[in-house]
Amino acid sequence: MRHHPFWQSVALLLIAYVLIVFGIPMLPGSALVPKSVVLQYMLTVLVGILIWVSDDEARWTRFKEPLHAVLVESRLKTIRNGLLGALTLMVGCFTYSQVRASVAAPPNLRSIHPAPPSQLTFRGKTISLTGLENPLRAQGDMATHLATGRRVYYQNCMACHGDYLDGQGHYATGFNPIPLNFQDNGTIAQLTESFVFWRIAKGGPGLPREGTPWNSAMPAWESFLTEDEIWAVVLYLYDATRWHPRTWGETEGGGHD
Amino acid sequence: MTRTLFTPIAAVLLLSVSGCGGDNQGGQASPPAPPPAAGETPAAGADAQASGGGTITGTITFTGARPANAPIDMSEEAVCKEKYTAGAPPRAETVVGNPGVLANVFVYVKSGLPAGARYTAPTTPVVLDQDGCRYHPHVFGVMVGQMVEIRNSDPVLHNIKAIATKNRPFNISQPAAGMKTNRTFTAPEVMVALECNVHGWMNAFAGVRPDPFFAVSGADGSYGITGLPPGTYTIEAWHERYGTQTASVTVTGTESKTADLTFAAR
Amino acid sequence: MTSVFLLAVALLAQDTTQGKAVYQKWCAGCHGDTGAGDGEAAHYMLPRPRDFTGAIYQIRSTASGELPTDADLMRAIDDGLPGTAMPGWKDRLSAGDRRNLVAYLKTFSTFFADTSFRPQPIAFGSAPGGGGGDEALRTGRLFYDSIGCRKCHGDRGRGDGPSSPTLKDDAGLPVFAADLSEGWRFNGGASAEDIYHRLRTGLDGTPMPSFSDLLDQQFLTDEQLWRVAQYVRSLSPDAPEVRDVIRAPRIAGALPRAPDDSAWNDVDRYWFPLVGQIIVKNRWFNPAVSGVWVQVAHNGDSLALRVVWNDRSQSPDTAWLAHGGRVLSSLALDEGSAPAPQPWPDQLAVQFPLTIPSGMERPYFLMGDRTAPVYQWRWSSASPAAAVAGQARGLDRFDPAAAGGAGAQSVYDAGQWRVVFTRALATPDSASQLQFQTGRAIPVAFFAWDGSNAETGTRMAVSTWYFLALDEPVPARVFISPVLAMTLVLVVGLLMVRRAQRASGRQP
Repeated sequence: MRHHPFWQSVALLLIAYVLIVFGIPMLPGSALVPKSVVLQYMLTVLVGILIWVSDDEARWTRFKEPLHAVLVESRLKTIRNGLLGALTLMVGCFTYSQVRASVAAPPNLRSIHPAPPSQLTFRGKTISLTGLENPLRAQGDMATHLATGRRVYYQNCMACHGDYLDGQGHYATGFNPIPLNFQDNGTIAQLTESFVFWRIAKGGPGLPREGTPWNSAMPAWESFLTEDEIWAVVLYLYDATRWHPRTWGETEGGGHD
Repeated sequence: MTRTLFTPIAAVLLLSVSGCGGDNQGGQASPPAPPPAAGETPAAGADAQASGGGTITGTITFTGARPANAPIDMSEEAVCKEKYTAGAPPRAETVVGNPGVLANVFVYVKSGLPAGARYTAPTTPVVLDQDGCRYHPHVFGVMVGQMVEIRNSDPVLHNIKAIATKNRPFNISQPAAGMKTNRTFTAPEVMVALECNVHGWMNAFAGVRPDPFFAVSGADGSYGITGLPPGTYTIEAWHERYGTQTASVTVTGTESKTADLTFAAR
Repeated sequence: MTSVFLLAVALLAQDTTQGKAVYQKWCAGCHGDTGAGDGEAAHYMLPRPRDFTGAIYQIRSTASGELPTDADLMRAIDDGLPGTAMPGWKDRLSAGDRRNLVAYLKTFSTFFADTSFRPQPIAFGSAPGGGGGDEALRTGRLFYDSIGCRKCHGDRGRGDGPSSPTLKDDAGLPVFAADLSEGWRFNGGASAEDIYHRLRTGLDGTPMPSFSDLLDQQFLTDEQLWRVAQYVRSLSPDAPEVRDVIRAPRIAGALPRAPDDSAWNDVDRYWFPLVGQIIVKNRWFNPAVSGVWVQVAHNGDSLALRVVWNDRSQSPDTAWLAHGGRVLSSLALDEGSAPAPQPWPDQLAVQFPLTIPSGMERPYFLMGDRTAPVYQWRWSSASPAAAVAGQARGLDRFDPAAAGGAGAQSVYDAGQWRVVFTRALATPDSASQLQFQTGRAIPVAFFAWDGSNAETGTRMAVSTWYFLALDEPVPARVFISPVLAMTLVLVVGLLMVRRAQRASGRQP
């Protein structure tokens, strides 16, 4: 029994399952692994194991022994019939669950960083986004700009994006898609300030189709805020999260990847 | 009609609130009994605790249009409504006694007492009664450390919420008739507001003082502060709706000085 | 001795210095630089952020009027105050930062100046047994009534008691009596223990008093007060999970058109949270309706959609008019100056696209726009037995359909509206009204207005798009396919066994 490749394989599968389902969520910053992903991981592990056992002729033969025994040996008849019955029932249930009438929400395929336009019209004024830097970085007092940015953020953005800027404001659960998490390294950390300006100024209604503008609750802030207020809140976002905006030297096309 | 109803209650109160300037309902400035505290433990500097002392009396007058005294709608609380056979009373804050005078004004010595004077609080409590879904008295004074005995005479839930900044605010409940809760205040504060949130019309005010020299104007607008040592005092009169007025009074012996104060409608 | 004292002072100073840095960065936007609860966001929320200068705290383990313990302050920071804008910071700030923050918060008030004084928590004891039993709940209900809970919280606990319209906090700002049927929004937690603790301590600064005096003066036993807490706990389900797709069963025969038809008891209900409309002018930061419970059933010809939501007032109600005025005047409004409150009605809108989309694209969730309208049913308490079907093209434009709109019946009962909308799946004017189909994911959204809370027009509570799926009649393939699959597996399995046995029979 010891070191038998079949039982080793079974043990490996079990360990992999436990690690994926219970181990991964215990890592800091991790969530439960979705079932479809678990299935994917398990299939990968299974293929790996099969490659390993079939790599050596002797091991492959030994691996097949228990399977073969179940199929032929008369003393294992009960197990054989039991396994066959269980398999049949499982297939039946699976088929039923697949063909049963059930309607799921359509997938929400959404481009996170849609391509920005090369220019936009802000309250009648045309602003070219290509190569545009935050004008407030070159003028006035940074502390004043940040104070303005904080005020704008707390009065307008906090309800959704949260006071920790992590997209978990007290209104966040009411919307789908949920508000952007600025602390995450995949949001403003990947963008130029002109891109962020565009997203704030034009909001959900200004998104291209691949950004699912019909779902986004992001207001078009040009009707609430001035140009300088938006630039100030952009400064605040980067200051509070300690991210640095991408600059035009690093990226082509405004920061979308 | 309010007054006829109010008088017996006030009479009871006068007994229990003696020494801390309860409602003077009698119509004349009957000075409250000398505060028991005064002179009990004269601290250093409190050299003017001789019984007797000076007296300041006066009338709080009111000029301008008398505000509408809309009766309270107590229809939510039948038990209380029944207590007013002659009709619902008006809100106490708008009571202007006889035409031209203002009741429920808290008058106290704001400054002028010897520095470092200490006055011990009387052992008799001030009683604040909840009866007929109103507070009795509506305005009262109490010394720091003096007990306020909060009673419920109504078989309904009252909560008593104190809104204060210098004292710890509290919010307690008395859902049954006969409940009594004692509370004290630890710091002078003019005024601590008391309110019942179950009955939005119920409120009262407590003037918390470190000394016994305060009074509340009665239905005739009169007040009297007794037992004052000689000195020059600034007295302040406080009304929940019309703000404050001050006057300067010099007391030299055991004489009675008059300080009338006037509030204007706004 | 002196050196120990100096060390303690130095340590405390360090705590508060570091706490101040954390406070300035993460707390001051709401609570203000001086801790007075007057940060930049303060006027965009009710209840307001805590004013630390008065040291008045709602969630304590100490008696009413007492200061909170450090653990009480830590708990509020760690877990936040559910139902308010205050989030929990446990996963956001380090333990050291949060400890320093507690030290710094205490510097805002002179009441904490005497550091030798340690607030003493009440010895709460533990719950007596039998908390969930009928007898216990009956006792709890009895005392719920007798100690006056219903005065504010209402007969069914929905915050609609007779005193509810007049409630104000210490600052004179309007405050709602808690809706006891939404325990997940309780500021101090939803467990029976949490509720019992709140009964003992009160929520200082709010109208909620402490009931400890009742025990001290033996008007109530500790067990009876626990029963009240357990009864209150029983009024609320656990926090509902939001499911995206409403499954509408197909039922035989007549649809339950009455709001209280017992047939609704057998239909699964779905919770959808609503939040303030803060997207277009004029925004609304204080929605009264926190969500809706939705049930749908159809019979192949028509569908019935039941929306149940809690609303403290049957608007218009003049008793609430002053409340509406206080709400308007205490919030920052896009309108600039606060409009005068009016006796506005309660309203509800159910929204669909005009046609079932085949791809992902849908109309704008916030009532469509000029180019892509949405199809809506609108109901108002001003005419509670009718609904108006029509098309919206943005928040400011609604065109009622010519005919064949939706029907509605409604009931207001103890702080709750229950409205049933009914409509034929297909209508003659298919161009102006949605044609329902079974087996499709039909986008649906909800909007609610509490007229007594000054909600009208754009001042409302909104939801995002969810989906409605009407069950199809069960097709035969649902049963045939599994049987076929099972037969196939069985035959293949048996063949494999036979082959293996033959092979091994030949070899030995």
